Amino acid sequence: MKERFLFPYWFKYLGIVLFLAHLPIYIIKKMMHVQFDNNDPSLFSGQHLFYMATALTMVIGLLMIAFSKEKIEDEQISQLRLESLKWAICFNYLLLIISLTFTKGYDAIDILRVNLWLPLMVFILLFRWKMYALTRLLKNN
Amino acid sequence: MKNSIRIERAIKNITQADLAELIGVSRQTINTIESNRYVPSTVLALKIARVFGKPVEEIFDLEDTD
Repeated sequence: MKERFLFPYWFKYLGIVLFLAHLPIYIIKKMMHVQFDNNDPSLFSGQHLFYMATALTMVIGLLMIAFSKEKIEDEQISQLRLESLKWAICFNYLLLIISLTFTKGYDAIDILRVNLWLPLMVFILLFRWKMYALTRLLKNN
Repeated sequence: MKNSIRIERAIKNITQADLAELIGVSRQTINTIESNRYVPSTVLALKIARVFGKPVEEIFDLEDTD
């Protein structure tokens, strides 16, 4: 069977680590009451570095979880992956259209921020749920 | 589409897990094919047929609803 473009299996665990890694960074910042200079014009300002260490690390982690191979990756699993991705995108755009209709200004920007990770999250949950249902079916037979 | 994989397995005396390993898919996939929940690709159908040493048509059969 032809090789599919997916990360290796162990990337899933690396992804989970990256996904969780943003929490301690965020908590430390809260506890130490770190304040960043919002007027720093350089690209790698404190605020921006913090953003990269939290939001972007989390998204990279989610990407790795979402697109790493299963232990045995076969055509049925690929089909489930595709199906979950389809519904995640549909659900996300529906939600996006509705929420952008009823908001504007800064609230709209917040919604777009949530959209950075929401489609991936919905996809992962849908896919895991389908995989769980498949395994449960096996146990019932 | 219906299939006789379960019967062929019984004749050859192999489990779902054995068959899955022979053709390089998950056990879940063999299970869903057997219970007619998943229609395999031509490649997979041919691989299954090869394990049982029979032509594909003897294992997979079209139904009137197909």
